[in-house]
Amino acid sequence: MKAFIVDLSRCNGCYCCQIACKDEHVANDWTPYAKPQPDTGQFWIKVRETVRGTVPKVKISYEPGMCLHCDNPECLNVCKSEAIYRREDGLVVIDPLKCTGCKLCADYCLHDAIYFNEDLNLAQKCTGCAHLLDDGWDVPRCVDNCPTGAMKFGEEADFQEQIAKAEYKSDSCKGRVYYLNRPKKFVAGTVYDPVEKEVVIGATCTLKDKYSDRSFSVETDNFGDFWFREVPEGEFFCSLTIEKGGARKTIEPFDASSDVNLGDIPMRLL
Amino acid sequence: MGNSKDTRGDKTVFRSLGLGGFYGGGAEGMVDVKDGKILRVRPFRFDYKYEREKIRTWKFEKDGKVLEPTWKSMPSPFSLAYKKRVYSPNRIKYPLIRVDWDPNGERNPQNRGKSKYRRISWDEVTTIIANEIRRIHAKYGVNAILMQGDGHGECKTINTPHGQPGILLDHMGGFTLQVRNADSWEGWYWGAKHVWGQGVQGMYWPAHNIVKDSTDHSEMVLFWGCDPETTPWGFTGQFCSSLMYFWKDIGIKQVYICPDLNYGAAIHADKWIPVLPNTDAALQLAIAYLWIVEGTYDKEYVETHVTGFDKFCDYVLGKEDGVPKTPEWASTKCGVAEWTIKALAREFARKVTSIAHYFGGGYIRGPWSHEPARLEVCLLGMQGLGKPGVHQHQLSYFGMPRMEGLTGTSFWNPEIMERLALPVLSSVANWQESVIPKTLVHKALKSEEPLKFMGTGAIEASVVSQFKEHEFPLPTKDGSRIRMIWTDTPCRTTCWNGGNETEEALRSPEVECILAQHPWLENDCLFSDIILPANTHMEVEDIVTNIRQGGQFADVMLCHKAVEPVGESKSDFEIVLEVAKKLGYGEQVSEGATTEEIQRKVFEYMNLDKLTTWEEFKEKGYYLYSAAEDWESDPAGFSRFAENPEKSPLGTPSRKLEFYSERLAKHFPDDKERPPSPQWIEKSEMHDERLSSPRTKDYPLLLMSNHGRWRVHSQCDDITWTREAPTMKITGHDGYKYEPIWLHTSEAEKRGIKSGDIIKIFNERGIVLGGAYVTERLRPGVAYIDHGARIDPIIPGKVDRGGAINTISPDGVTSKNAVGQATSGYLVQVGRVTAQEWEEWRRENPAAFERTYDSGAGLRFDAWVVKEGVK
Repeated sequence: MKAFIVDLSRCNGCYCCQIACKDEHVANDWTPYAKPQPDTGQFWIKVRETVRGTVPKVKISYEPGMCLHCDNPECLNVCKSEAIYRREDGLVVIDPLKCTGCKLCADYCLHDAIYFNEDLNLAQKCTGCAHLLDDGWDVPRCVDNCPTGAMKFGEEADFQEQIAKAEYKSDSCKGRVYYLNRPKKFVAGTVYDPVEKEVVIGATCTLKDKYSDRSFSVETDNFGDFWFREVPEGEFFCSLTIEKGGARKTIEPFDASSDVNLGDIPMRLL
Repeated sequence: MGNSKDTRGDKTVFRSLGLGGFYGGGAEGMVDVKDGKILRVRPFRFDYKYEREKIRTWKFEKDGKVLEPTWKSMPSPFSLAYKKRVYSPNRIKYPLIRVDWDPNGERNPQNRGKSKYRRISWDEVTTIIANEIRRIHAKYGVNAILMQGDGHGECKTINTPHGQPGILLDHMGGFTLQVRNADSWEGWYWGAKHVWGQGVQGMYWPAHNIVKDSTDHSEMVLFWGCDPETTPWGFTGQFCSSLMYFWKDIGIKQVYICPDLNYGAAIHADKWIPVLPNTDAALQLAIAYLWIVEGTYDKEYVETHVTGFDKFCDYVLGKEDGVPKTPEWASTKCGVAEWTIKALAREFARKVTSIAHYFGGGYIRGPWSHEPARLEVCLLGMQGLGKPGVHQHQLSYFGMPRMEGLTGTSFWNPEIMERLALPVLSSVANWQESVIPKTLVHKALKSEEPLKFMGTGAIEASVVSQFKEHEFPLPTKDGSRIRMIWTDTPCRTTCWNGGNETEEALRSPEVECILAQHPWLENDCLFSDIILPANTHMEVEDIVTNIRQGGQFADVMLCHKAVEPVGESKSDFEIVLEVAKKLGYGEQVSEGATTEEIQRKVFEYMNLDKLTTWEEFKEKGYYLYSAAEDWESDPAGFSRFAENPEKSPLGTPSRKLEFYSERLAKHFPDDKERPPSPQWIEKSEMHDERLSSPRTKDYPLLLMSNHGRWRVHSQCDDITWTREAPTMKITGHDGYKYEPIWLHTSEAEKRGIKSGDIIKIFNERGIVLGGAYVTERLRPGVAYIDHGARIDPIIPGKVDRGGAINTISPDGVTSKNAVGQATSGYLVQVGRVTAQEWEEWRRENPAAFERTYDSGAGLRFDAWVVKEGVK
C-alpha cells in the first residue's frame, strides 16, 4: 500500500508541488486516469499558508493539502455511478469515463480535495499520478518536485517510523497522507528593563493555565526573548509570570487560543 | 492495473532552468516532449547517465548531522512552470510595426506607449531596419545608435538573449553602449570595494570554502537584508533552502534584519529584527559604538589588519560631528528598540558570526547604499574578518566546494569566438567608446546638457575606474546624441530607476526609431516602433555551462531543441543575423560556424577534452563534475589575510581593511554622500528620502522593494500557475490581478484599507496601483512591493496599473559620484483609489481600459496588436 509523508517542518512554501500537479495534468489528457485539469482554479494539491503572530514575533506555516487516498473514502461510498475506485496500491481514483458529474463526492469529501470541472462535467482530484506509477515512475510529480524532501511517497511498510509520529485528522476515513511536525501554537515576547534600556536575559517565564494546574516554563534568551513553542491546542486562558533576581512581573490572564505575541514587556530589575 | 499508458513522451532534453543568463546556468531540468509540444518540465537527475559511485561528491558534517547532494536538482516554481512561459498568451508571434510610425513620413513619437501595432513580414521589417541603420549612421554617425543588450535572461550560450545586436553594430564601426550597472549589489560595488579592495562584485573575495567554514565554526549568521528563499531561485534554484535547514539542525542561530518578514525569515529565523528601510547604517553605527565603548571588538586584529580606525572611531563616538552614534540615537533613525540594538551588538560580539546575502533588495539598492555596505565590512573587520566562522556570504553563490577540473571560462573572454564573447561583454564591461550608464539612460535621452559621470558602473570594472570622469555624448567629433535605440532588454521601465521619466524620455521626438526584440510583448516593447519576436531557450539548440555556484553539482550540458519556434519567432542571434544579411554583414556576424561547431568549441573552452571525450559527452548529453579530492583543505575566505596580513595582503592601497579611504579623500574631497569613512547620511542634494524630511507630511511611509519571490526581475510575471499564489497577485473586484502591496495591519487600518482592496502607492513621481496585502509580515511605517511587475500604463509616465513600482523610484542615482540605482527606501504614501480617480483616468485614456486581458496570465499580445485587415 502506498503512502505520502509530509514533514511540515521541512516545507519551505515554494509551491513546487502545486506547480508540478498543474504541469502534469493541465492540458495533458491521461484518460482513463484523469482528464485534463483546468488551467487555473483547481488544486489537486494546494499549499495553504498561515501567517501567525504579530510583529516582530511572526512565523508562517505552510501545509500542502491533497486527497488523502483514504482507506474508507466517503467519496467512493457515495458515488452512485461506481466511478470512484480504490486501487490495489491504495490510491483512490475517479474514473473520468464513468463520472456523471453529480458532484456528490465533492460534497461528501471531508478534506475539500475534490474539484468540479464545469467544462467537462467531471469531478476531479489527485490521482497520485497513478498513470506515471503504472508506467514505471517512482513517485508522483508533486513529490518529485519537492526540493527539501518534505514530501515523500512509497510503501506504507517502509514508513512505519514516520507514521508512528504522524499527526493526522482523526476522521473515519483513515487517510494515507501522513503529516509530521504540525506547527504548534506559540506565546512569545521580549522582556526589557525600562530604566537601563537593556533586555533582560535569563528571566524565568512561567505560563499558567487559568483553569488547571498546567504550567510551562522557559528562560529569556540573549535577546530578552521568551518563546513558549508548544502551547496546547484549543481554548487556553493563561497568565504569565516573569521573574529574575527578586524582580517579578505578572501579565494578567489573556487568551492564548491562537498564537500570542506579548510584545516588549518592561520589567525593572532590582 | 493494466491501464498503463506511454507517459514518457517522444524525447527528453536537458535545460538550464535558471534565469540568470549569460555566464553559467543552474537549476538544471529535464523536459519531456510529445507530439512537438512540451509535455512536462521536471528536476534534473544528475545520475541519469552517470553511476553515482563514479562521481565524488562533497559532504558537510557536524555533530553527526550530514548535508550532501541529493542527486536531483531543485529548480524554483517559475522554472518548473516554464511551459507556461513558452506558450504564454503574451508571446510575440510575428514582427510588428507601430501603426502610426512611418519611417518615410510621420513617426508620432508622442504615441509611444499608447498606439497599437500591426503585423509585418520578416523580409519587409529587416529591410526597414537596415535602411534605418544606414540612414542614422550616415546622418548622425554610429554612436547615434544606443544598444541596450544586457542583464539577466534565459541560460543560453550560442543564442544568449542579450547583446547580440552589439556584434553587428561593432562590425559596422561601433555604437553607444548602455553599460549595465551593479543592479543587485550597488552598495558593495560603490562602497565595500573602498574598504577591502576589488572583491568580486565588490563582495568578499576570496571566498572559497566559506560554506564549510561557517558550517564548522559559525555560531550565528545575520541575514542582513538577505532572503535565501527568494533571490537564489532565479539562478541555481533552492539548494540554499536545504542549507538553511541544515544550519538550523546543527544549531547555528539565524537572525534576520530586514523590514519585512521575508520568505527565509518566515521559516528559518530564530530572531527577526524589523528595521526601517534603508536605515541599516544607523543600526550598524550603534553596534560599532557599543563595541568601542565596551571594548568588545577584536583589538589585536584591528591593530594589525585595519587602517583609519581612529578616524572611524572619531565619527562613531561623535568627536567629528558632536553626535555620538549611540543605540539611543540609532533607535530614532532605524526604528529598532534601544535594548534590542544593544542585545544584537553584544550577541554579535559574543558569538562567532558571519553575515549572509544573496544579492539583494532594499538593503543594498537604496540611496547611499555604499554606506551600509562599507559599515558592514567595518563591523566584520572589528570581529576578525577571515577568522574561522567570520565571513561575508554571497550565500552558496560563493564558497561551495571546488570541483575537479572545473576551469571555467569567462564568456566575455576576447580569446573565444566573437559571436560568444561580444554579446556577454555588453553585460559586464564598458567596451565601446561612447557609453551611458544604464542608470542614466533616461537622463541621456532628455538632458540638453552633456552628462558627466564618475565611472561607468560596468560590473567588471576596477575600483580605480570609479575615479575616471566620462562624458556623454563623447566630446569628440564622434560624439552623438541618441537617434535610434536597439534593445533586447526592454525592461528599463519596470526594473531600473526613474521608470516614469523613462517612459517620457522614450517618447522623445529626437529618438527617431526604437527597435525591440523580445519573446513577450511587455514593458519597454510598448514604447517601441518595431518589435521583433525572439524565441525561448526551448526553441533552440544550444549548450550551457551550469557552473554558477549555489547548486549541488556543476555540469555542462547540451541543450537540444525541445520544440519548434512559436509563431515566426527566431533566436536573438538569428534576428541579428537576418538584419546583418540585409546590411551585407552576415558572414562577419555568423563567423561561418555551425551550431555543432560552436558546441564543440565551448566543450574545448571548458577544457572538457581533458576530462572526457566529445563522443562520450555527446552520447551522455552532459558532463558531471566530481568534487575535487582535496576541496576540504582550500583555505576559507580571508583566512590567510587573517593569519598573516603582511604575507597575504588585500588589494587596497594600504593592503589592509580601510575604515578610512585616503583614496576617496583624495579623489572626492568634497563628497558629503560618500565621505572617506562611512557615515549616516540624513539628506543630500540628490536625495531627500528620510523620515526627517518635510516631504513626510505628504509621503509618510518608507517604501521597501525586494527582488520578487515569483519573478526574476521582470521575468515570469505571466505564469498563470504562480499567479495563483497569494503573494504573487491579488485579484481586485474588477477581476484584474494586481501586484500585492504589503501594509502592516495598523497602517491599513489608519487608511481604511482591507486585504484585497485596490490601492495606490504614490509620490511626486506618479501613482502605482496594487492589491492590498494586509499583514504582520511587515513592520509599521513601511509599504512593501516587489519590483518587476509588467507595466500597464493607464497614463504613460504618470499612472501604472501593472504595479511597476520603479516607475516612481527616485530620479537620482546612488549618490553624486556613484551611478548605481536607488530603487528602494524612499518616501511614498498609500491610499484607497477613489471613484473620481477611476473616472478621471477612464476619461483621459479609455484605451487603457479596453485592452484584452487574460485573468489567468494578465496582459496579452493581442491587447496591443490590431487584427489583420483592420487599420
